Parts: sequence; C-alpha cells; structure tokens
Amino acid sequence: MLDVLEKQDVLVRLHEDLQRALKKKPEERRWVMVIDLRKCVGCTACTIACIAENKLPPGVVYRPVMVEEIGTYPNVTMNFLPRPCMQCDKPPCTEVCPVTATYKNEDGVVVIDYDQCIGCRACIAACPYGARTFDFGYTYTQGLPMLEGAILGSKTAAEYERLSNFEYGEEWARNGGHESPIGNVRKCHFCLHRIKDGILPACTTTCIGRATYFGDANDPDSLVTELINTSNVVRLKEELGTEPRVYYLV
Amino acid sequence: MIKKITYAVGAVALLFGLWGVYIRLFEGEQSANYGSYIGWGLWVAMYLFLAGLAAGAYMLASLDYLFNIPQFKGTGKVMLWAALVTLPAGLASIGMDLGHMERIWKVYLEPNFTSFLSLMVWGYTLFLILIVISLYLAFIRPEKSAMKVVMWIGLVVAILVAGGVGFLLGGNAARLFWHVGLLPVQFPVFALASGAALMLVIVGWFGPKDNHVNRASQLWTLSLLAVVLSVVKLYFLVADFTQSLYGGAPNNVLAVQSVLTGRYWFSFWIVQIVIGTLIPLIVLVQPKLAKNDFIAGLMGVFLLIGYVAARLLIVVPGQVVPMLPGLAEAFSGPKLTFDYTPSLMEWSVTSAVMGFAILGILLGMDYLLGYLARFTEAKK
Repeated sequence: MLDVLEKQDVLVRLHEDLQRALKKKPEERRWVMVIDLRKCVGCTACTIACIAENKLPPGVVYRPVMVEEIGTYPNVTMNFLPRPCMQCDKPPCTEVCPVTATYKNEDGVVVIDYDQCIGCRACIAACPYGARTFDFGYTYTQGLPMLEGAILGSKTAAEYERLSNFEYGEEWARNGGHESPIGNVRKCHFCLHRIKDGILPACTTTCIGRATYFGDANDPDSLVTELINTSNVVRLKEELGTEPRVYYLV
Repeated sequence: MIKKITYAVGAVALLFGLWGVYIRLFEGEQSANYGSYIGWGLWVAMYLFLAGLAAGAYMLASLDYLFNIPQFKGTGKVMLWAALVTLPAGLASIGMDLGHMERIWKVYLEPNFTSFLSLMVWGYTLFLILIVISLYLAFIRPEKSAMKVVMWIGLVVAILVAGGVGFLLGGNAARLFWHVGLLPVQFPVFALASGAALMLVIVGWFGPKDNHVNRASQLWTLSLLAVVLSVVKLYFLVADFTQSLYGGAPNNVLAVQSVLTGRYWFSFWIVQIVIGTLIPLIVLVQPKLAKNDFIAGLMGVFLLIGYVAARLLIVVPGQVVPMLPGLAEAFSGPKLTFDYTPSLMEWSVTSAVMGFAILGILLGMDYLLGYLARFTEAKK
C-alpha cells in the first residue's frame, strides 16, 4: 500500500484535539481556525456546508470564498481566500451594539443573541471584514410556482425551508412570520452547537483539501498551535488591532 | 398662497408615504435597497439630517432666549416647535430602519453604554425632553432664570448630540471615508447650517406679515449666517476630499471617487453643490434678493435639499468599497451588493416622514402655538 494511504487523516487529529479541549473549562481554551491557503482549491464546499449546517437563507452567508486572479496569461494563477468570522479578540462589532446583543462568549467566540438584536446593523458597519449579513427573511422558494400533485417540488422545498435550524444550540423556526433570526444580523459562530457536542465545524470537516483546521490554541499539543507558531502565518488587517482568531498559512 | 402650496405638498407627501410605511410595517424590508454590505441607506441619512435639523433649530432658538438678539425676538417659540417636530421625525426614520423596531425599549432598559448608538438614543431622548421643557417655559416664563438654565443645558446637549452623530460614523476605523477626525466637529456646524436654512423658510414664507422692517433684517442676518455656514461646510468638504485623495489610501480614494465621478456624481455636483450650495450662495449675498420673502424661503429650501444630499453622500459612500477585495463577487444573493440607490419604498417612507414634519411645523405655527399663547395669556 502507498505510504500516503497509511497516513492519518488530519481530521482525526483535529477531532482528538477537540475532545481534549472540551475537557477544559471554556475560559481556559482558545478556539482558533487556521486556513492553509496553499491547499485551498476554491471549491467552496465550506461555503455550502455552512449554508446546509445553519440552513442559511438567500442573502445570508457566513463563509464566502474570495477569488483573486493574479498575473496575465500565460503567467496567471488564482488565489482563494475563505473568510469566516475572524472571532476577533478585540472585536469592533461588539462595542457598537446598543443592546449587547453581540458579544464574546465564555469561549471567546463572538456570538449574537437573536432575541436581543434590534436589527440596527451597526455591527455590519463596524466589521472590517464584511463578516456579517442581515437576514431579510428571504426563502429560496419565494415567488416560485407550486406544482400540484408532485411528490417533490417547491412545496416540499418550502416545507424544508421552514424547518428549524439549531444555531447556538437553540431552535430557530422559520414559520413565515418575522420571528428572529429574520430581521437580525447573522454571522459565523464556529459552529458552536457542533463543538459543544464534540464535532468539528462544518467547514472544517467538509474541506476537500483539508485546508481548514480548528482547535484550541491554548493546548501546546494541538495541531492549530503547531501551525500558528510557524513563520508563514498571517492574519487579515492586523493593523486595525482587532486580533483575529483566524490565521492564514501562506 | 405659498403656505397653501406647502400644506398641499406636505399632505401629498404624507399620503404617498403611507404606502411605504404600510409595506415596511407589514411586508418587511425586502423591498428596501439597503442590504448586508450597504447596511445604512436613505433612512439613516434622513435621521442624521432631521436630528441635525432639530439641534440646529434649538441652537437658533437660543438666539432669542439666551442671547437676546433683537432681530430674532419672537422667533424662539417657532424654532423650538420646529425642533420638537423634526426630532421625532428623524427618530421615526431611524426606527423604520430597525429589523426589530418593537425591541427599541431594550436600548433604554438593557443599554450598552460602550455603544455610541445607545448613547445617542439616550442623548436624543434627553434632548427631546429638554425641548419640551424649553417650549413649556417659553410660554409660561420666558424671562425667568429657569428658562435660561434649561436653554443653556439644551444648547450644550444639542451640540453634543449633533457631534455624537458625527462620532457614530467617524469612530469607525474600518471605514476610512468616515474615519475623519473632524467629523464630530463638522456635524454641529452642519446642524446649525440646516437650522439656519429652515429658519429662512419659516421666516421668509410663513413669518408674520405685520412687521416688514424687522423681517427684512431677520432675513438678511439669516442669509449671512447661512452663507457663512455654507462656506465653512464647503471648506470642510474640500479639505476632506483633498486630504483623502492626496493621502491615497485606496479604499478612501475609491469612496471619494464614487462621489466625485462615480455613481453619485449627480447627487453631489448637481444637488449638493449647484442647487444646495452655489445657487443659495450667489443669491443670498445680494441684499435685495436675500430680503425678498419668497426668494429667501426658496433658498432655504435649496439649502435643505443640499443638506439632505450631503448626509446621503456621507452615509452611503462610506460603505461602497468592499471590505475585502473580491467580497462583492464571492457569493451572490439578494442584497449582497455594493451598489445602492434608494428604492421607491424607501423614498415613500421618507416622504411620509417629511410630510409629517412639514405638516407638523405648519399646523403648530398656525394653530397650536397661537392657541397655547392665548391659553397661557388667559391664565396669567
């Protein structure tokens, strides 16, 4: 058998790191995400996985992948930059919230209390990474004709869209009214509801190139600690002093 | 005649606006054109404009009640009333912008005082209370020291809330177009300038006809004030844009270019500069024209239109440049765009707000203030 097949999938290591971190008190761990841009192929599987996991409606996106074309033919290449929420240690978005609806939780992840948010979008204006989007209440089946008698179709799809999502470990139904999270700002939360149950974030497990890593940077034995202590690490817009928890390997 | 036309304009604006208000309240925000990348649009700009107008009107009322300037004798009540109408109108505009406006009470009961937005809600509430008290005292005991004390407090609060709105934008280090150190200084000047323009309209078009000599003097003084403030405002603008372009920070340059030569060139050059600044400047420096009731009022309207454009052109261009290169194209969906022009529904809601403000000011001047004056006189 080829050597490469005998190697352990990096997800196994990340999973073990996660289990170890979950045994610690929340305030003792420091969740970080590391994205190896050299491995990212721009497939956007992470974007789609995130949408599926959090049942994101149209117009709401937590992890777009930005594409940059470099050079001119024939010396041309593409760069891909997945952009989750940076979960900044000094987040400019939380201090502007007039009702403390968005804040850093005990894990240090920037969260949004949907029932508290008044929908003023001040946090959108404050975020230097464009990491927040507003839920205007769209559905994918909105405006589509219903096909009577069909087993599958827009009616079934519409019913699926109304099923709850479970962000932050709570049930958020979409019943066609104006209940939260409609009318709220939404953002990536490192899939806290999965982490709580010992499962890695959806973007991490779905990455086909294994370019996304997640773990506890306070654990000296974790893979993420190993990775962020190398010389080829950058964070976005460091000059703003936001101290992002998302690191890029370049 | 001009009053009847203004009443009609106000009524039509309110009627047209009811449609937008209905859509906003019962169908939500999908028909608005602001979105996730340009999160603040026309309604936020109108809030800045109307709240600034209220602060400016209050500042001008102080010319009568605090500084006893002879030309402005008797104008204080109307300006306080104008402040009392325009401030709620501004708050209504920002209220419509909230995704969950029914939760506004949380800003009072569960505030976050590190948030300038929260401080502004508290500040404007205090300001509203001060306007009401000032107006009450203006009828009951305008000459007493209580009035002076309240007006002094109100004047300081008016300057602070106007400046605070500047800080709301200027304190945002992520958006270079807004992150101008002098924005909190500029906004009280903008407020005073818009107050002077409003007073030109009120005195020129709706002022009492019985004292023509005093009114001509009022209009000339107001015209000079409006001209000076317009020139100061123009200087701020030139300084801001020159500094931004010379500094060369790409995001800032792109934002300024969107105003000067890009999507918003018409609003800037035609509405803000030609209609809102140059024409009033040229007309109001000529004593004969400035003392003409109709022309002075019309220039006041032009100035106000220019100030609305100016607010829009501060709020929107600050958001038109993607925070990261490629963000605009990275994911498509409704309202994930960096292009913004207000939708018909947004204009309609603004129309309702303006209709309310116009009718409120006129009805107050024609009926309420006179009634209150007679009522308090009778009590005395």
